[in-house]
Amino acid sequence: MKKRRISSIYLIIVFALLYAPIFYLIFYSFNQGGDMNKFTGFTWEHYSALFADQRMIVIVLDTLLLALLSSVIATLVGTFGALGIAARKQKKMKSALLTLNNVLMVSPDVIIGASFLILFTSLGISLGFGSVLISHIAFSIPIVVLLVLPKVDELDPALLNAAQDLGATRWQTFSRVIIPFITPGIFSGFFMAFTYSLDDFAVTFFVTGNGFATLAVEIYSRARQGISLEINALSAVMFVFALILVVGYYFIDQYSRTRRQKRKHHQNETQNEGVMLP
Amino acid sequence: MKKTRSFFMVPYLAWIILFVIAPLILILYQSLTNNQGQWTLQNFQTYATSWTYLKMTLNSFWYALLITAVTLLISYPTAYILSKMKRQQLWLLLIILPTWINLLLKTYAFIGLLSRTGTVNQFLAFIGIGPRQLLFSDFSFLLVASYIEIPFMILPIYNAIVQLDPALVNASRDLGATNFQTFTKVVFPLTISGVKAGIQAVFIPSLSLFMITRLIGGNRVITLGTAIEEHFLTTMNWGMGSTIGVVLIVMMFIMMMLTNDRKKKRQEVLPNEEKTN
Amino acid sequence: MQKPIIELKKITKRYDDGFTALENINMTIEPGKFYSLLGPSGSGKTTILRIIAGFTDATEGDVVFEGNKINALPANQRKVNTVFQNYALFPHMDVFENVAFGLTLKKMPKQEIRKRVLNALKVVQLPDYANREISELSGGQQQRVAIARAIVNEPKVLLLDEPLSALDMKLRKDMQYELRELQQRLKITFIFVTHDQEEALAMSDEIFVMNDGQVLQSGTPVDIYDEPINHFVANFIGESNILPGKMLKDFEVQFVGKSFECADAGMRPNEKVEVVLRPEDLDITTPEQGKLVVKVDTQLFRGDHFEIVGYDEDGNEWLIHSTNPVKDGKQIGLTFEPEDIHVMRFGEKEADFDARLEQYEED
Repeated sequence: MKKRRISSIYLIIVFALLYAPIFYLIFYSFNQGGDMNKFTGFTWEHYSALFADQRMIVIVLDTLLLALLSSVIATLVGTFGALGIAARKQKKMKSALLTLNNVLMVSPDVIIGASFLILFTSLGISLGFGSVLISHIAFSIPIVVLLVLPKVDELDPALLNAAQDLGATRWQTFSRVIIPFITPGIFSGFFMAFTYSLDDFAVTFFVTGNGFATLAVEIYSRARQGISLEINALSAVMFVFALILVVGYYFIDQYSRTRRQKRKHHQNETQNEGVMLP
Repeated sequence: MKKTRSFFMVPYLAWIILFVIAPLILILYQSLTNNQGQWTLQNFQTYATSWTYLKMTLNSFWYALLITAVTLLISYPTAYILSKMKRQQLWLLLIILPTWINLLLKTYAFIGLLSRTGTVNQFLAFIGIGPRQLLFSDFSFLLVASYIEIPFMILPIYNAIVQLDPALVNASRDLGATNFQTFTKVVFPLTISGVKAGIQAVFIPSLSLFMITRLIGGNRVITLGTAIEEHFLTTMNWGMGSTIGVVLIVMMFIMMMLTNDRKKKRQEVLPNEEKTN
Repeated sequence: MQKPIIELKKITKRYDDGFTALENINMTIEPGKFYSLLGPSGSGKTTILRIIAGFTDATEGDVVFEGNKINALPANQRKVNTVFQNYALFPHMDVFENVAFGLTLKKMPKQEIRKRVLNALKVVQLPDYANREISELSGGQQQRVAIARAIVNEPKVLLLDEPLSALDMKLRKDMQYELRELQQRLKITFIFVTHDQEEALAMSDEIFVMNDGQVLQSGTPVDIYDEPINHFVANFIGESNILPGKMLKDFEVQFVGKSFECADAGMRPNEKVEVVLRPEDLDITTPEQGKLVVKVDTQLFRGDHFEIVGYDEDGNEWLIHSTNPVKDGKQIGLTFEPEDIHVMRFGEKEADFDARLEQYEED
């Protein structure tokens, strides 16, 4: 029992450290004084400043548009890439493709950023929204492939045979059997690509030029100039946004989980000898 | 059908050529040529004979090592305790949630926390050992980088622990092992793959976190990433920047080789082979 | 009766969510015997094993080992070893290291460990496999390594949790012989969990039949087969024709509208009962000579016998095993001896059942 308490305390400390900086930011976003040192009184003024900041709003919309566009395109390319990789018969070819796929996954951001910068310059592509979009698509494709591929591999070839046996054409087999089956993989691929794009700073920083900024780049340049509580207000808004997504995801997950369990429970009601961890 | 399938593969293959192979070749090309486009080893020579560059590389490596060690020490117990909790999905989401907050916002928080009149210094003054210069020091860089990397270390370790068959723990106890022996002889060796994945996920980015060094470390800490950023975006010396980039890539490969499990690989390959035969 | 090695006294296991896995279990395990816990999945048999091994605690009741209460003794200090359902071999160790695991923990000299491990591998007929990786072994070989890993520690009791369930039919049959032979050679107590009634009947000295967290009946395989205590046991073990009936008086029972002489007694007159007739006890004869007449519906050839399904005038289904085929649709007569009829009372507990049997058999 005592051991339990020690581990609970440890976990609480870790979580406290993990969240302290975030709550610290949010707390001071309501500070009347202009800094993050002393709380002098409650105010919404930094939030109204944020929502009145035309430049900031344009940047937020640009960032969202960029994330949406790049993740949709990356999901399309990546899904077909995964289907193609799975269809390769030779083992060597397959693992070569996978290795190439993973290069960008393990490369540090600065390397991706720097090498893309060289690429765009040598191809004569001007830096701006276009180059950033292309870069985001490029670094999102491998994660889509990695999330879709296991689903494709799970696909039982007998299912395809069954579909054909029942009279489906190749196109019908593809659209009515393969795609629905791998949809969960496609969704998580899209979701990850979206977060990758929202989260990226380093690559964008290298290939963005002067005209275009994403949220991360903007925060960087403002933070270099010192503290502005407008950024605090922004992080509070983003935290709430992330929280809503996470909580929503959790409840959807829990809901489908309990439903699955219920169904299982009905199938074999006596299967109750679960595995209990020590 | 063969043809249509290949047709759908075209964008993906084009991506591989344009954004995987070409950039690697370009960065290598840049490092091996001078401004006039002539082949030369000049950049590598400069790098290898300059004490500044070598010291910077060693420093960067050392910091990355420290960050990895600190995060590992904090993360393994966290992941282990987490795997024994009820409502694991919820706890896990709480670990993931901070990674959804943009890294720069988190770094920005530390500018406030660690500043000369900031909260941490107020506390240090209160207990009588402050205020001190915290921002723009090696310590602050280590602290912030470790803070940012912790979730990326916890998650792979947690996954490895959860995948561990509880029957193996029971078997070990059944054969007479104490809790400690079970941990050292069964649990840790079987979750080492998660530790290695965590090291990969933390060590390599730690070599290249230039924004944190800029915002928190001041000019006291220069990592490989900072140097690359500087050469590409400030001094415009792409040749030298690419050279450091090549060094970074080489380091990355060494790290991957050290942490890739040969034994595990073999086991993964076996069942697949049976399938295809 | 020998001094028991393990006793379970009034064991109850309840989970946090209120589910009762075991209810008032009492068991006495004597040294050197082969016991089976037999029941459908979810009946609580594995939970009993886990309580004996020390992986989980009983909510109420005591576990007694050689006269000492061991409720609080951790699993690593108990003198029992387990063969796990999916073997639970350590994948990061080879065969030798797996088998040596328990001995290494005891800080035994290297030479001695080597001797014992190789000997244990010889016992399970894998003498040349010491340096193989676990992933290179077949299911049957992994099974043997798991057994070697347990017996090398010389446990007083070996617990086996459905060890054969992952093997194919042929291998399973072979392993049944081997396990039984091994147990008799080592003279260790085996407690064997299974849901396969054939396996339990073939191997055990004694069987505990379980359902819904309770022990319904215990005894030798022959006793349980011949005298099942209730409908569940009769159905679960072997194949049966079970019919509603009425006990007219001692040694006379009525079913399908006729009265028959039987070997059971000790019940109230006109008590409602259930009657069991095993399919292999029914003999086919002409309709005129039969005690019962049924019309053949279907028959299946089972290799060593024919399995015939027929219906009597009241529509009751009858299962008959016969060495000779009959014609489909034909009327046949069935005969049986009085001792082939087994009468079961509703809701009779094992203790009362035993007492009644003893009482009228003495007469």
